[in-house]
Amino acid sequence: MNREFTADLKKRIEEITARYPSRQAALLPVLHLVQSETGFLSAEEERAVASILGLPPIKVREVVTFYTMFTRKPLGRFHLQVCSNLSCSLADGERILRHLQAKLGIGAGETTPDGKYTLTEVECLGACEQAPCMMVNFDYHGNLDPEKVDRILEELK
Amino acid sequence: MVKIFLDGGPVEVVEGTTVFKAAQRAGIAIPHFCYHPAFVPEGSCRLCLVEIEGSPKLELSCSMVVREGMKVSTQSPAVREARRAVLEFILAEHPLDCPICDKAGECKLQDYYQDYGLTESVFREFKEKREKKVRIGDQLILDRERCVLCTRCVRFLAEITKTHELGLFERGIHSEIGGYENEPVRNGYSGNLVDLCPVGAITDTEFRFKTRSWFLTKGESICPLCSRGCNIFIDYHPGFPRVAGSAKVYRIRPRTNEAVNGPWICDHGRYGYVDLQRKNRCEKLIWNKGPGSTTELSWDKALIVIGEKIKALRENGKTGRISLILTTWLTNEELFLIKKIFKDGLGVRNVSFADPAPGTEDGFLLRADRTPNRRGAREMGFEVKPVDLDVLARDSDILFIFGSSLAGGSNDGAWKAALEKVSVKILVTAHLNELASAADFVLPASSVAEKSGTLTNADGRIQRIAAIARACGDIRPEVQILLDLAREIHLDDAYFGALTGPEEVHRELAKDIPFFGARP
Repeated sequence: MNREFTADLKKRIEEITARYPSRQAALLPVLHLVQSETGFLSAEEERAVASILGLPPIKVREVVTFYTMFTRKPLGRFHLQVCSNLSCSLADGERILRHLQAKLGIGAGETTPDGKYTLTEVECLGACEQAPCMMVNFDYHGNLDPEKVDRILEELK
Repeated sequence: MVKIFLDGGPVEVVEGTTVFKAAQRAGIAIPHFCYHPAFVPEGSCRLCLVEIEGSPKLELSCSMVVREGMKVSTQSPAVREARRAVLEFILAEHPLDCPICDKAGECKLQDYYQDYGLTESVFREFKEKREKKVRIGDQLILDRERCVLCTRCVRFLAEITKTHELGLFERGIHSEIGGYENEPVRNGYSGNLVDLCPVGAITDTEFRFKTRSWFLTKGESICPLCSRGCNIFIDYHPGFPRVAGSAKVYRIRPRTNEAVNGPWICDHGRYGYVDLQRKNRCEKLIWNKGPGSTTELSWDKALIVIGEKIKALRENGKTGRISLILTTWLTNEELFLIKKIFKDGLGVRNVSFADPAPGTEDGFLLRADRTPNRRGAREMGFEVKPVDLDVLARDSDILFIFGSSLAGGSNDGAWKAALEKVSVKILVTAHLNELASAADFVLPASSVAEKSGTLTNADGRIQRIAAIARACGDIRPEVQILLDLAREIHLDDAYFGALTGPEEVHRELAKDIPFFGARP
């Protein structure tokens, strides 16, 4: 059941842990690294990280489920994160979410059957000045309206 | 020493003490869910807030360390208001199913709400629906609606057993306690989670829905299921039998004794104890006259019949042909009376012990020796040696067997052949097994919850057990059976006549053997 990481990934994990006073302290950056390599964090990855850092697997699970930037299931090629917090809600961010749901035919938290898009409703993205906003993978898009969203999706081909 | 003022009164405590502990020492109770003396302070429940003069906000008493001259208020309006608010938030998501909750009556949330809450909730939203019976261990059920997320269970498994079966997943309103990939809590100490849970979130399948906590009375005693001698509370129904067939002892819980068991007990003791009290009890005095002929007997008559048989041997100077099979389950007082009557009084030499097979030591509380009083038997001068069936068959006319551990051991079957060669077999036992059909007389004895006395744990600590549950049927404590027998055969009327119960027997024991002179 235990997953073996590649030699290269192990080496990069060791580089990260070397920067911290204890191995356990490197948990967050190591999880980010592993997720960027494997796409998501399943029990296999949790167990492997736990054994490398000398933690019980349940401590890793606690951290993975606490932080919303870690995902425990595979995401689509494009991860659309739509803000539903105060500023965006006041600027009718709900409309953006509804538009995407209708256009992609999926609800928040779901992935299209072709594996292209994952739609997520998220808390504040820290870009209130361009509300309503969303993130596509690591790119910000602000001052949205349905037409602008359509153009963005067009460019994602 | 540091001097602080708690609600105006001066209190002196050692440096490094927390405000919470200082208050406890001063007799001031501060409400809390997450704090537990055995764990590192967590500070997550926010209920132990106190007001400290000069501090801009309320502080957590569980983790705030005292400073010289600190002025603390545990009951100021701001503190009471903070507690009220914390409780209101907890109740906003608490199911209030107290009428069917096993914790009702001994629930901290109920108690604190009575003291600090009593408000009309301003929440109009529906409560979250969560899972109400998640099996998290062999005897453990988790109710996620009742949980207040104090994480005592998580920290017990991380800090005490270090097995890490439970964790706190997700965040905010979605936070929940759970196991890793549904692996159960299974570490030999899981029952402690039920005691630790301040509300009814973790309940025990052995206790669930069996009774209401306010019907129970607690008695102090000692767990007999290994030689550690953990201190326990026995929770029992004083009014038994309220309902036909209802149990007498409902559960046992740890009673804190830092020198023996701390605040914990193991599952072997916790679940074994209740079985000990309930299962396969011997309640009737039986005389197996011959194949297929069994009669019930009164104690008076039984003592006469048995007494006559002993007297007949004594008249022929053959009391050496009386044999004893004892058990280290017997209390110090019982062993002392056996020594006085049989060894000193009648000159019995053939004495051996039949005990349950030792288990494995778990490195924490549970010891390999699964009986409570081996040390006591040794200090009394008994050689605790196993039964030699050949010698027994050859040298015995009358055999007294205390306890029923002879059957079921590795010598299965062999003991039957040996017993057939002995003409009179008297079994004194609290529990029935196949040994009973091989004995001529079966005398029903008290279980450990039904008798008083002392037990000596492996470290030589002499601890008191108390008669707590009421025995039913013909059951009598061994001390009474032994004293009645001594009187019946007129052994030393002056000596035994003066002894009326375990207390007097212990006094004699303490006089005779200095080891037992140190009072428990």
